[in-house]
Amino acid sequence: MADSTHNLINHTQNLFIAARKRGLSITHAREIDVMRSLQGIDLSNRDDYRLCLRANLVSSREEELIFERTFHAYWDEGEVENSNDYILAKSELLRNDLVAGRENEGHKDMLSEVTTSGEEEVTRRSNLISRWDSNAPPLDKSIDKLAKYLATRPSRRHTIFHKGRQLDMRNTIRKSIREGQEISKLIRRKKKVQKTRIILLCDVSGSMDVFNAFLLQLMFGIQKKLRSSKTFVFSTKLTDVTNLIKTRSTSGALENIANQVRHWSGGTNICSALATLNRGILREGKASATTLILISDGYDSTPTSIEMDGSSTLEKELKILKRRIRHFVWINPMYGASTFEVRAAALKTALPHIDFFLPAYDAKALHQLIDGLSKI
Amino acid sequence: MKTNEWVHPFHNVEKVEEYLQTENYIADRSLCLTSKLMFDLEKPMLLEGEAGVGKTELAKVISKTLNTPLIRLQCYEGLDSASALYEWNFARQMLEIRLSENQSANKEAMEKSVFSEKFLLDRPLLQALRHKGEKPAVLLIDEIDRADEEFEAFLLEILSDFQITIPELGTIEAENKPIVILTSNRSRELNDALKRRCLYLWIDYPSRDKELEIIRRKVPQLNEKLAEKIAEAMAKLRTLDLQKNPGIAETIDWSMALLHLDITELSQENILATAGTFLKHRDDINLVEQIDLKEKLDL
Repeated sequence: MADSTHNLINHTQNLFIAARKRGLSITHAREIDVMRSLQGIDLSNRDDYRLCLRANLVSSREEELIFERTFHAYWDEGEVENSNDYILAKSELLRNDLVAGRENEGHKDMLSEVTTSGEEEVTRRSNLISRWDSNAPPLDKSIDKLAKYLATRPSRRHTIFHKGRQLDMRNTIRKSIREGQEISKLIRRKKKVQKTRIILLCDVSGSMDVFNAFLLQLMFGIQKKLRSSKTFVFSTKLTDVTNLIKTRSTSGALENIANQVRHWSGGTNICSALATLNRGILREGKASATTLILISDGYDSTPTSIEMDGSSTLEKELKILKRRIRHFVWINPMYGASTFEVRAAALKTALPHIDFFLPAYDAKALHQLIDGLSKI
Repeated sequence: MKTNEWVHPFHNVEKVEEYLQTENYIADRSLCLTSKLMFDLEKPMLLEGEAGVGKTELAKVISKTLNTPLIRLQCYEGLDSASALYEWNFARQMLEIRLSENQSANKEAMEKSVFSEKFLLDRPLLQALRHKGEKPAVLLIDEIDRADEEFEAFLLEILSDFQITIPELGTIEAENKPIVILTSNRSRELNDALKRRCLYLWIDYPSRDKELEIIRRKVPQLNEKLAEKIAEAMAKLRTLDLQKNPGIAETIDWSMALLHLDITELSQENILATAGTFLKHRDDINLVEQIDLKEKLDL
């Protein structure tokens, strides 16, 4: 029995490693909780063993599906990369004891691999300096206004403010005690204003080439005004250009981007870009305080795959994105033209998930956009 | 959960199932096992799932089973510590200050006296921590996804250490660690830090058989054939492209409605006439009106 328990602990630890490789965040605290939980269940029941691990190791529906896939691969398919792990997985203990409960595999795997390249993937160096319009009016004021509408929100905390609408009774009473126990002055308060993080996601595929001058201006302007914001560009790949555009010299920054972003003017894979964000930066704690601004015409050169439940992979990524962030703003440079129609498939899929769908193709249109925002 | 000599009665999964069934709550093995672990590990349980699948009901049932009070905190946007944790009784404090105006009490002593336990108003979280009794209270933090994300950070101290800090009074530790159940309809993603402190369970819509068993227990007067038809119809309705799929609560409402209307058979007319009990979206009602229910629901 002691050997069996020892084997089971080994297996469970191997399973932790396998689950970590697939993206589950398994902390030591969680490992300890699993071991504590296993003491209280019937280990001969495979289903209880699986459910016990699941309850401790996952924290969302998506993670539940990853866990189920990992568990199934480990115990039933021996899909463990390390051959030693595989031998352990084949050991007699759980093969004999954990045979029950296969019929209980309630979760179908809805996660599919996202393709990272489209048909028109390119690797070339673009001349971005020629696309920079040095005569364009500065966007500083407009971006200041944009930040006001999108990048701030009321905090849960309060601050003393003499014109505030709320009475701060706690401080009023304290003050009255200090000043002779007579309530002579009511102290008022208002909610503090918090900064929201902005993530700018710019489509730099071939179809967006005509808007490059505006796009670059906006990227530089937002990064300059909101130092905590992040800027990404995507076509068939996604690249974080935040540090590249933080340099003082615009021409130097353009050189840097041209050197690093070799997929500029390539095909488009919006789904892949969103999936990378969802599994990367938007998993961090500040995600719920994030406003994502996507600038794209919505034309996607990569056909989106279909999930087992019939929804598209793009739709799935949009749903995940929407749950994580505060606002999803889509700026479409084509929107506003008299002949504009929602034809792009990606845009059609995204429309129900967008908080603000706005036009902007140059500095003047951006001013109009901000005026529009102020009326929302 | 073992606190102050109290030993929880959920010794094994079967026992949990049995206890829940006595309160007419039909639970699957994963729910029973996670509930048991919640007691064993003294950790909060986070339940996610669509509206109406029985998340809130579980907390009510556990509280009934243990015969212990259920303290409920309904979350909403803008929820703050004054509504969730504690508030000072300002009216009483002012009265106290006025009464002591003529006495020459020193200011420091006065301040200490005014910000003491006597003037503290307990709100749900503090009530749960300070619950005195042989058994711990059940604390239900309902629809946590409706609260602001800052509120989640505020809950961390309570969920991990079962204590809170009040600047004027210091740290208050739980006398009886409460049984904490959090529910979320998943309208937004919760913070990882909060989720790490909880056992997680996704509650799905019930299978046809489980739903039939629920109808039998909740509406025992309903005839068996109609109950079977309702369970089947519900399972099929959920496969339609509805804006809001009907949950278990809607199934029970529909069954009750049919019982009160003395309807014994499901027909296209009967379903449409009572659709308001299980469809809560205008578009969904339009969709159901347009399809041949006899064929779709196999009536």
